[in-house]
This record gives sequence, C-alpha cells and structure tokens, in this order.
Amino acid sequence: MSQKPERRGIHVDQSELLCKKGCGYYGNAAWQGLCSKCWREEYQRAKERQIQEDWAFAEKLQREEEVAYASSQGPSSQPGPQPQAQATPPHAALTPFSKFEEKKTNEKMRKVTTVKKFFSPSTRIAPKKGLVEREDRTLRAWRGIFSPSWEMGSPTEALVARLREGHEGKTSSPSISRQASLETDRVSKDFMEFLKTMQRPGREIHKQCRAFIESMANKKQDLGADELSECVQDFYQNLSDRLMSHFKGSSESVERVMDQVEKYIMTRLYKSVFCPETTDDEKKDLATQHRIRALHWVTIEMLCVSMDEEIPEVSDNVVKAITDVIEMDSKRVPRDKLACITQCSKHIFSAIKITKKEPASADDFLPALIYIVLKANPPRLQSNIQYITRFCNPSRLMTGEDGYYFTNLCCAVAFIEKLDAQSLNLDTDEFERYMSGQASPRRPTDDGGWPLEAGPSPQGGAAAAASSVAVNPALAQLHHSLEQLSGLSERQDRLMEGARGLQEELVSWEEGVRREVQHILERYPLEVRPPPASAIDTENAETDRLPPPLTPQVFAG
Amino acid sequence: MASGGGRSSSFKVVLLGEGCVGKTSVVLRYCENKFNDKHITTLQASFLTKKLNITGKRVNLAIWDTAGQERFHALGPIYYRDSNGAILVYDVTDEDSFLKVKNWVKELRKMLGNDICLCIVGNKIDLDKERHVAEEEAESRWEPGHYHTSAKLNKGIEELFLDLCKRMMETAQADERLLKGSGAGQSVPSRRGVQIVDDEPQAAAAGGLLFIWLTHTRTRTHTRIHTIIMPFPLN
Repeated sequence: MSQKPERRGIHVDQSELLCKKGCGYYGNAAWQGLCSKCWREEYQRAKERQIQEDWAFAEKLQREEEVAYASSQGPSSQPGPQPQAQATPPHAALTPFSKFEEKKTNEKMRKVTTVKKFFSPSTRIAPKKGLVEREDRTLRAWRGIFSPSWEMGSPTEALVARLREGHEGKTSSPSISRQASLETDRVSKDFMEFLKTMQRPGREIHKQCRAFIESMANKKQDLGADELSECVQDFYQNLSDRLMSHFKGSSESVERVMDQVEKYIMTRLYKSVFCPETTDDEKKDLATQHRIRALHWVTIEMLCVSMDEEIPEVSDNVVKAITDVIEMDSKRVPRDKLACITQCSKHIFSAIKITKKEPASADDFLPALIYIVLKANPPRLQSNIQYITRFCNPSRLMTGEDGYYFTNLCCAVAFIEKLDAQSLNLDTDEFERYMSGQASPRRPTDDGGWPLEAGPSPQGGAAAAASSVAVNPALAQLHHSLEQLSGLSERQDRLMEGARGLQEELVSWEEGVRREVQHILERYPLEVRPPPASAIDTENAETDRLPPPLTPQVFAG
Repeated sequence: MASGGGRSSSFKVVLLGEGCVGKTSVVLRYCENKFNDKHITTLQASFLTKKLNITGKRVNLAIWDTAGQERFHALGPIYYRDSNGAILVYDVTDEDSFLKVKNWVKELRKMLGNDICLCIVGNKIDLDKERHVAEEEAESRWEPGHYHTSAKLNKGIEELFLDLCKRMMETAQADERLLKGSGAGQSVPSRRGVQIVDDEPQAAAAGGLLFIWLTHTRTRTHTRIHTIIMPFPLN
C-alpha cells in the first residue's frame, strides 16, 4: 500500500474495516469496530461484569448495614453509622436509572465515533503496521476511559481493564471473553465429546439443547423462578421421553445422557437462574446466615450428637464434612452440589461409626448434620437448596441416595429455622439469655484457668477442658495435650518425691547402721588384757612323774 | 417416584416411629440379614436399598430412615412427601410408641390420602411377656397392613416387605390405569389432587399457628399440588 494524500475526501482503509480484535472478519462501526461475533462476546462480558459489580455493591451495602446495625445494638451505641446506612439505599435505587443513562450515552457515543471515523484522516498506513495498531489500541483504550462506556462503574477499574485489553490485544488473541467463561467452554467441549460417541441421537440431543438454551435466553427476563424451573423440568422430561421412545435407549443410558445434558445446560444457565432477582432467595440466605450466627453457642451435647470429637479421626471427619458442605456453593451443576452434600454425609457417618462402633441410623445422623450445618454456616444455603430443588433431575432427587441426604439437609435447615428452647432441652429463660448474648454456656471463669495453672485442683482444669471441647476441636486438642502434660509433670513430681524419700531412707539407714555399730562398740569395749606371766608347764601335773632329767655322769678316767 | 415403564419400578419407603422401637434393626435385618452384629459392613443404616423380583417384575426399594426423636416430629412432611409406602414401627412393650404410630397414621392419611401404602409394625414380639399393647386392640384398628415382627429372631420381616411391595405395585398400576382412562394429555400438566385439609379448627382458635406447605410433586405426566396444613400449637 502506498501513502495517499490526506485530502482525498472520505477514505476508509482496508485495515480499518477489519474487526479490531484481529479475527479476520470485517468489523462494523456500530459495533465499535468489531465483527458481529466479537461484539457479542464483548457485550456479554460487559453485562456479566455489570451483574457481578451489582452483586458486590449489594454485598457492600449489606455489610455496611450490618456494621451499622451491630454498632447500634452494642452498649455504646453511636449515632453515626445509622444515618449512613439509611443514606446508602438511594444509590441502589438509582442503579436502574443509571443503567438507562449509560445505554443512552452509549448510543450517542456510537454515533459520534461513526461520524468521527468518516472525517478522521487515515494515518494508519505506516509501514510498521503492528506498532501503529498497538498505539491505536492504547489510544482507543484511553479514549474509552473518558466516555462513560457501557462497561464500567469506576474510572480506575475502567482504566485497568482497558489497558489490559489493549495489552492482550497485542498478542492478537481472537477473544478475551473466552477466558472469562473458561468453565463453560470446557463443559461445552466435554459435552460435544460425549455426544460424538452417540452419532445420530447425539446430533438430535445437541440440537435440542441449543434450541432450549436459546429459548431460555430469550424469555428469562420476564419469567419467575418457578416458571424457569417448570421450563427446565419439562425439557428434561421431554428429552428423556424422546430418547426412550425414539432411540430405544435403556434407562441406564438415558440416565447417563440426562446427567450430561443437565451438566451442560445448567452450566450455561447458572448465572441467570441461580438466586434470580425475582425471588427473595437472597433475603432468605441472609436470614439463615444470621440465624446460624445467633446460634453459635449451641453445643454438641445440647443436640445429643453421638460424635466424640476428642478422638482425632472423628474431629478429622467433622472438619472434612464442614469443608464439603461449604464447597457446595462453588459448584454450578445441581448434581455436583448434591455430590458435595453426599460427601459431607459420608464423613458424618464415618465419624459416628468411629464413635459408636455401629452403623449410624437416622436418629444419629440428623442431629449430627444439624451440628455440622451450624458449625459450617454454608454460604447462600437457601439459594443452593432452592436451585437444586428447581433444576435437578427429579428422578435423582426423589429416590436416590443423594436425594435422601439432600432431604436431610432440608430438614436440618428447617429445624434450625424453627429451633427453640424445647428442642435443645433448655429452659425458655436460659435459651433467651443465650440468644441475646447475655450468657454463654461456656462459663468464661472456668475457661480462663489452664489445667496447668490449676495444678492443685485438677478437677477444675478438667471441667474447663470439658466445657470448651464444644468450642473448638483445636482447643480441645490443646486441652487434651495440656492435661497429658500436667499428668506427666505430676508423675515426675511423684518420682522426684520417691527419689528424695529413697535418699532420705538411705541416709537414715546409714545413720542407723553407724549408730548401731557405735552402740555395739560402746557396749563391748575393746579390752586389751595382759597375758598371765607363767611357765608354760605350770598346769602340767604329769611333769612330777617324769623321770628326772638326765644328768651327765662323770667317769674316772 | 414410581417409575412405571414395565421394566422396573422404584419405590420410596419411609420408616417412621419413635426412637428405640427398632426401626433400624428391622431394616438392617431385612437388607443385611444381621441383628446387632459387630460385623455389619455398611457405613450407615439410614438409607438402604433392596432389589427385588416380584412375579417377574424388578422392583427397587429405597428405604429412608427418619429421626424418631420427638423434637424432629415436625420435619415429618419433608421426609414422607412423594413416598410410595410408609412403615410405622412401634414397640409392643411400649404403649407410648403405639400412640405415636396412631398419630402418624392419622397425619399420613390426611396429607397423602390413599396415595401411600401404610404398614403398621409391632416390633420386639420376642419380648411377648412384657407386652403392653394388646394384640386385639392393635389388630382391630387396621385390618390390612398390620404386622408383628421381631428383628432379633427374624420373624415376620420378609413378609412385611413383600406385602408392602405388592401393595405399592397395585397402587402404581391403578394410578397408571386411571391416567390412561382419563386420557390426560401429555403436554398439559393437569393439576389434580389439590387437597385442602380442614384441620382441627380448635387448634387454630386456641392461639395456635397454621403452617401451610404447598408442595408440588412431579410425576411423569402430571403435576400434583399438595396443600398441607399443619396445626402448630403455641405454648
């Protein structure tokens, strides 16, 4: 391409006609220079972000309100936060209008850019095309920040996102929005793979699912949650009937297909049908959350749960069960959510079996599950339950094992909602006091003393340990170790005492022996008697009879 | 839900009754043929399944144990909705447990009508000497579906479940025939069986609360709406 004079009237260059994302298709100014596909993706992404932001905003509001409420409830009630909380809601009320306004400015902007395009001189025919393109992108990014575009609330966020967009655009990836919905993509791909193995029925299933998702996207705005549920359930019903009758599938294979269909459809629809605005699910979620938080003082003994958390394996299982029930919220497919509940139940069963040494009956299981739910306080519990009830394949929910555990979870939630003094075997007064936070079943005075410090009175330490077992398994473990340690030190003391005693005994024995020896020595003093001076043969009587000694005879000679 | 289709049907059966009457023992005896055994392999005894073959038809039984403690009584409807059968267990040596079963029967009939097959089971007949519930009294009340069992001695349990299965199959078949007879369209979900139960007005008058449950059941061809009204006396 050669350089052309700038004043040649309206000229639109080839590169400018192409989609800005660099996907190779022609773009359109009405779609901000993108091709239809990229534009749709972009728009979708923006919408999702908007929804998320609204969510975050709502949550922030909620938090503020809570803080205000808490401080107003507290003993030193500050008048400050209350009006603030009251002042914030108008913001929320404004959002629909601001959205509308955004749409309007968006429209206006689109027109402006179109016009601008026609009159702007084409300077993008430099030899270093890539570089210029990059610059151009950045430029556009900057321009985007100053016009209230359809995406962003705060300018800084817009800046960051735009810059990132420009940056990534440089690497000429066809679409960024794909990354946002990675999971959806993966599930779609899996689904396709699965269907490929089935040939003709597979194609049919795919067609049906696509049509269904499209129809849902068209009508979801004006439908309540129950109608949505009805639609999805009807679709399950019709599709499985069809598979049964047209393709003569066995009930097992149909079930397998329906599982995949459920996974695919619900992953696609999740965002729009989970906790929809038309219901008060969210309000119920918060109510349940508050309720569980208010019941933090309920102990394992009050519920008569047959789990002994002092056994390490049991407390291990309890922790796992809690993790599972919390994890439920992160799953998209109803069946996966159910799987989390089942997993949680299995851990509870293990815990009970270890404690009781026999398989758990429902009499043991339900209280344990209630205890786990109280300890876990799972996020968006009501929404999740409603979502599963509305969109899960009914055959699974009615008779299967998963269905049983799910029903138990529903029971646990219903119990927690209606829980009163009677159901915990407490006096009404006591219950009220615990609920209002005036008293706590843990008795802090006992709790304060560590078993080691309470050395002289081991009973006090034991009581403290027992009462705090319910509070925290880690604390229980700590108490347990401390108790063991104090036991050990006691034994050591005893040993030392024994040793000391032995030493004393030894000393006194030595003393005794010495004294005895002294005594004996004193009683029998050593007398050195002089020996009697006499001839050796004094007593010898026989000597008289001895012949006289021989005398020498002198011979005359 | 009972899924017909000729090949195999599955039924949901709930176990109701006070704690300690031996609900779990009955089921463990039936599904595992074990009683108070230290070698029971199952992790849990609250959800058990059994596959049966009755006159050439495959039947899947899913047996749901429920928590029997008094404080969980109000949760009953969550358990027993959509069940095809209920086994109500009492202890023949314990009069109170028998009274509770009577209440359960009343409640179930009120809520589910004749959609559910009931079995009343007097368990622990091996302790006949200490019997407190007169056989005649128990017998006279419900002619069909009353059984005496002993999970310990393995008496009457097989019969109980077999009978229940047969009755549930009959009910399911009758249901199907009814649907075919009325020629209800596949596409239009007919909402039949809307029951509004007028429940002991004095309970409400005495300053009680009425809980109204609107549950809806979905079967293969139609939607059913149950209205369950429960008196909830306040004290």
